[in-house]
Amino acid sequence: MLSTRSSSLRTAYATLVVLLLCCHIAWAGDWDATEQQLAGKIIAVTGTGPVAIEVTNRSSLGQADVDAIRRGLFEHLAGAGFKFANADSAAAKVQISLSENVQEYVWVAEIRKTPVENPFVVMVSRSRANITGTSRDLPSISLRKLLLWSSDSQILDALVINGALPRMVLLYSAQIQFYRLQGDRWVEEQAFFVAHSHPWPRDLRGRVILRKDRSVEAHLPGVICISNSGSSLSISCREGDWGWPIGTDQYSLNAAFAQSRNFFTGAFSPAIGKQDAAPAFYSAAPIPNDRGNSWLLAAVDGRIHLLDGTTDTVLNKLNWGSDIAAVRSSCGARWQILNTGNANGEEDTVRAYEMLGREPIAVGQSLTFPGVISSLWTAPDDNGAVAVTHNAETGKYEAYLLTMACGQ
Amino acid sequence: MRHICLRWLAASSLLIAAIGASGATRPRYGGTLRISSAAVLDSLDPADAPDSILRRNLTRLLFDTLVVVDENGILQPSLADSWTSLSGGQRWQFTLRRGITFSDGTPLTSDVAAASLRKTNPTWKVASQADVITIELDAGVTDFPAELSLSRNAIARRGDKLWGTGPFVVSQWEPHHRLALVARDEYRGGRAFLDSIEVEMGKPLREQNIALDLGRTEVIEIASEHARHAAAEGRRLVNSSPTELMSLLFMRDARSDAEQKLRQALALSIDRPLMNRVFLQNDGEPAGGLLPNWMTGYEFLFPAEANQTWAKQLRTEAGQTLSWTLGYDNDDALARVVAERILLNARDCGLNIQTTTASSADIRLVRIPVKSSNERIELSELVSALGISGPKLSNSSSETVYNAENSLLQSRRVIPLLHLRYVTGIGVNVQNWSVGRDGSWDIPQVWLSGRQ
Repeated sequence: MLSTRSSSLRTAYATLVVLLLCCHIAWAGDWDATEQQLAGKIIAVTGTGPVAIEVTNRSSLGQADVDAIRRGLFEHLAGAGFKFANADSAAAKVQISLSENVQEYVWVAEIRKTPVENPFVVMVSRSRANITGTSRDLPSISLRKLLLWSSDSQILDALVINGALPRMVLLYSAQIQFYRLQGDRWVEEQAFFVAHSHPWPRDLRGRVILRKDRSVEAHLPGVICISNSGSSLSISCREGDWGWPIGTDQYSLNAAFAQSRNFFTGAFSPAIGKQDAAPAFYSAAPIPNDRGNSWLLAAVDGRIHLLDGTTDTVLNKLNWGSDIAAVRSSCGARWQILNTGNANGEEDTVRAYEMLGREPIAVGQSLTFPGVISSLWTAPDDNGAVAVTHNAETGKYEAYLLTMACGQ
Repeated sequence: MRHICLRWLAASSLLIAAIGASGATRPRYGGTLRISSAAVLDSLDPADAPDSILRRNLTRLLFDTLVVVDENGILQPSLADSWTSLSGGQRWQFTLRRGITFSDGTPLTSDVAAASLRKTNPTWKVASQADVITIELDAGVTDFPAELSLSRNAIARRGDKLWGTGPFVVSQWEPHHRLALVARDEYRGGRAFLDSIEVEMGKPLREQNIALDLGRTEVIEIASEHARHAAAEGRRLVNSSPTELMSLLFMRDARSDAEQKLRQALALSIDRPLMNRVFLQNDGEPAGGLLPNWMTGYEFLFPAEANQTWAKQLRTEAGQTLSWTLGYDNDDALARVVAERILLNARDCGLNIQTTTASSADIRLVRIPVKSSNERIELSELVSALGISGPKLSNSSSETVYNAENSLLQSRRVIPLLHLRYVTGIGVNVQNWSVGRDGSWDIPQVWLSGRQ
């Protein structure tokens, strides 16, 4: 469903991303107040000149920013009646260094009225907080990603609900937020606090699903929250040992989650053929076939297990990560397994596979993400997946919708 | 903007280098992490001196502070979830987070927290009421909460035993030798991935290397002068930003202008870039200032290069000669070679220095670890560790701290030499090991893979 009506949504999301990026760039480029402050301090020492000025970059600022700052400083100085001179005819020389420390940009002006005396030093600083990078171009490959949301707080999972009024649900450690699509942007509709009496485990995980009655169900370790399916939103959360739905809409499986850890214990229902238990695992994905469904499990021991209803086979030589999800598409064998790759800390990948017998075969190229993927779950209707990554450049958590595109 | 981020990433790559080793595999719970250290502790009480990187890191495993300073130098709530300042920063109120328990199960109260802070800071007026702790200072300090992030201000409940609210609890403690810790399931930040930690203290660096090779330990210390060699041998290393100052400390103030000039001449005679290049294979940083540039952003204002011409001129202007003794720790191989180089540089400028390993010396070669990433606090801590007098700063503006640091350097009591990094060597199965800018470990996030 989502893929057939997603073009308008895509446009909306893309517009939203562009708007967000524009805001970042505008903010980051706004050096005016700091330039004015430093210009004022320099003039307080030198008067209006004539003065020779040199600007050196000792920070991580790029050349475009340095050029803009230099221009801005010179404009502020000129606006105050400051006279510029070359080094030979200047009454004073000002060496401006654009430096930085862990918290701030530090701009230092060393002012020398004679070559021998110690310089007079003035400095200003400006917070580096919220100065972030830009996005990357979407690669044109068979696996596509669409940025749904970006947040400073850890996103555990995201859910897009199609309908006359599309909704998005974001699951965080402390709350569940609902958004409505209005025009080209998501607008927060309501947020619900997730109460829990025990501390969350490290590497906190969660999943939010859309139930058949259109209500939303969120799972966190030892906590389940269920919304009503009526027109007015409300959510109730309960503590208890609930099984998590880890499969897809079409192929469901409930598994017991170890409440103070980050994995499933290995107990699940209904049974897969004659098998109702497996080694502890992080994630699972169904493999539909003519003889009944098999399941792949990404086990805690780092290996991928194939449960075919009677035997538990370890698939060797797979360099997969610990998150896998099944996706239904109109491509190839109609079902693909997405799996996270071997991250280097700054990037992670998702790649699609199809099963040829007991052997996974890669289809298409891997899709790169700007940080480690912390969550990968099948989306409603099974025709996509939601991945959450912790962007190594910006420090933000980003939720992406992943879809398969055939023949590209 | 992308360029900015990439450069920033490059600058901080040392800090996050270890993260990448984990791949995309989710962290695994369980296992015992064994840590070897040359340093020893005779007490686990955070209030006890002296501070060291080992003490600070072990304190963080057992105790929490009211606030913490994150990797970007920003204050974050910890045991206190909010704070306010009154009377121009002279009076501060901290509201405790609810539901925190010590490792024996008793609740954290403001009375216990206030008593803990009073023990460490007898001059503060600390009061408690309901969930609020009020601290009154002699003078206003705009960023006072950052001071509470120092490990000595960690909150401990002292009685017949010592209890903390941290992620681990002591299971075995042999002062000077061994410490064993187990994870607390109920820790407010989530149980650590590791089940337990064993720390072996007083272990020489050479023995630590052998233990790592034999799989008898997972984490060892690497002397900064050996870091490049260890990396070439294929060791997995994690470096901090420069976290230790190596400097010369004159044991008394200069008694005349002539002596001031001779001390300045000594400072100018020292070839720090050569020391960094030869002794540290460029893994450290020549120190012109007391505080590293990553902390202040202005250290470049204090030149680290030698200026022998000026040094000789100052020596001539002084019109007299003095004979100094330079003391250093004979067990410190880096200190020994640095002292010998200083002698050579000084002699080239006509200055007379003799080295000594005796406790009495005119000048001592000292190493001071960074205690805070807040520049104002770090300068105060440095002054205190050096045993010299320095100005009391009421705010952390770069200009204020620069002026204070400049005054200290002009006093000629201390001559900065090198900024050293804290280097750890880790086993192949250690994942997520990271060292903060100030040398701090984030052990609750560490996990062990099945690799051997």
